[in-house]
Amino acid sequence: MANRSGTAQRPNGQSQGKICQFKLVLLGESAVGKSSLVLRFVKGQFHEYQESTIGAAFLTQTICLDDTTVKFEIWDTAGQERYHSLAPMYYRGAQAAIVVYDITNQDTFGRAKTWVKELQRQASPNIVIALAGNKQDLANKRMVEYEEAQTYAEENGLLFMETSAKTAMNVNDIFLAIAKKLPKNEQNTGQGGSVQGRRLTEGNTEPKTGANCCK
Amino acid sequence: MAKSNYSKIDEYGFERPDDFDYKTYDEFMSHYMRTLTRRALRWNSVYKNRNFKKNNTMKRFIRKGIPANLRKTCWMAVSGAEQCRKNSALSYQQLRGKIENSQISETIKIDLPRTFPDNIFFLNEKQLPNMLYNVLATFAHQNSEVGYCQGLNYIAGLILLVTKDETATFWLLKTLVEHLLPKYYVVTMSGLLTDLDVVNDLVQKHEPTVHRHINNIGMPWAMGTTKWFICIFADVLPTETVLRIWDCLFYEGSKILFRVALALIKLHKLEILETTDLSELMTVFKNMKNHPRVIDCHGFMHYVFDLSGSLSSRKIDSLRLKHTK
Repeated sequence: MANRSGTAQRPNGQSQGKICQFKLVLLGESAVGKSSLVLRFVKGQFHEYQESTIGAAFLTQTICLDDTTVKFEIWDTAGQERYHSLAPMYYRGAQAAIVVYDITNQDTFGRAKTWVKELQRQASPNIVIALAGNKQDLANKRMVEYEEAQTYAEENGLLFMETSAKTAMNVNDIFLAIAKKLPKNEQNTGQGGSVQGRRLTEGNTEPKTGANCCK
Repeated sequence: MAKSNYSKIDEYGFERPDDFDYKTYDEFMSHYMRTLTRRALRWNSVYKNRNFKKNNTMKRFIRKGIPANLRKTCWMAVSGAEQCRKNSALSYQQLRGKIENSQISETIKIDLPRTFPDNIFFLNEKQLPNMLYNVLATFAHQNSEVGYCQGLNYIAGLILLVTKDETATFWLLKTLVEHLLPKYYVVTMSGLLTDLDVVNDLVQKHEPTVHRHINNIGMPWAMGTTKWFICIFADVLPTETVLRIWDCLFYEGSKILFRVALALIKLHKLEILETTDLSELMTVFKNMKNHPRVIDCHGFMHYVFDLSGSLSSRKIDSLRLKHTK
């Protein structure tokens, strides 16, 4: 059952390297596509009309990175401004955050910057923050220039990608980039018996294959 | 197989999920149909004149469920919404005429196709989404302290599915937001945050082992229960169960929400205690709608009231005072 040593048995019986578990939170204005990014990443699906998230939704996904299995515990939060007071509960203790904006809406980019500032001030000091300019498939209606966002990201030490939950562009990549940047030390492995090898083969938590992964 | 007896779409227009448990549902419906028939006859004999006055008989009848065809009239009467409508200087149509194109209207429009996209009345038809827009926008413009709060789309949407009446939905929504759940949906959401703390205290008192276990796992209470309270269980529990809860909410007020929360925790006590990490715990919360005893709305409401008989309004009031934001 619970595998406290931090190593997992792969389905084919081969022993695999360590398992790391990370808490990741998605933040950003309402309707920029936070839930859609998660749905694409976790289930490979896209719904043109994704239900608006109330409070927050919780999902998990596991990816393989070289000899390490990275399990993301994902908190997908509600975007409306007034839910702001609930947000600290979700980003507290998070090792990673994806701050999402909609490239067709300048206001959402402003809101993303506010989230970044808040995370830098209030979240864990070592949090890995990624900025996602979503809805790249609507680039013909673009209101936020790629260069502008990239410069902002560089100045603030953020990972940055334009993504499209609709076409899947850069969705796995941004999670993978985060996984690569996260420290994979013993601290994050097998905490409290919470890492279980069997889960890797269950339902939608089947490990994704990353760039150099699970060969 | 039981499956063939039921359509893929339920009576409120919701598509049943792929993992819908037809067997459990069939077992429940086989006896619930008899209950519904019996209750309908009782209502028709006692409330022949549709004169719904608040008294002990009414309370008892409502706890056993309002027949679907009487819900609109009964909700309007016992919640005070009908009185509110009569007392209002402006009619709904007049208030609706004041909708302006504003940021709020735009926000509401974005949420329309994101409200119950799995419901045929919202997905395939224009009428209900249009009515929903009118109700939400009218409400937002006449109450600037609340405006539009995400979550109200689900509440108003479900009231519309039940009543199919735009005007009644507006007055019921107004009564819910302004009287029954005060300060839940304002910008600070202070009433909601208070009630989330109250639930925390109640669980600590009534189910200390569960409370300790959840704390040990490190899940703040609000993570599991925020949506329960914001959506008053819409999109959280099975529709029929939600409506039975709302029957009581419209008559008795918000105390029912704490009773239901405690009942859900108690029903899932063993499952919660067996979890070893956050994702297992969240899975238990997510699957509560599939519990046979939650699907059996009639049995569930019995359980809710049997369980928490001692939950006094005074107790709730004092806890709310303690946690006032």
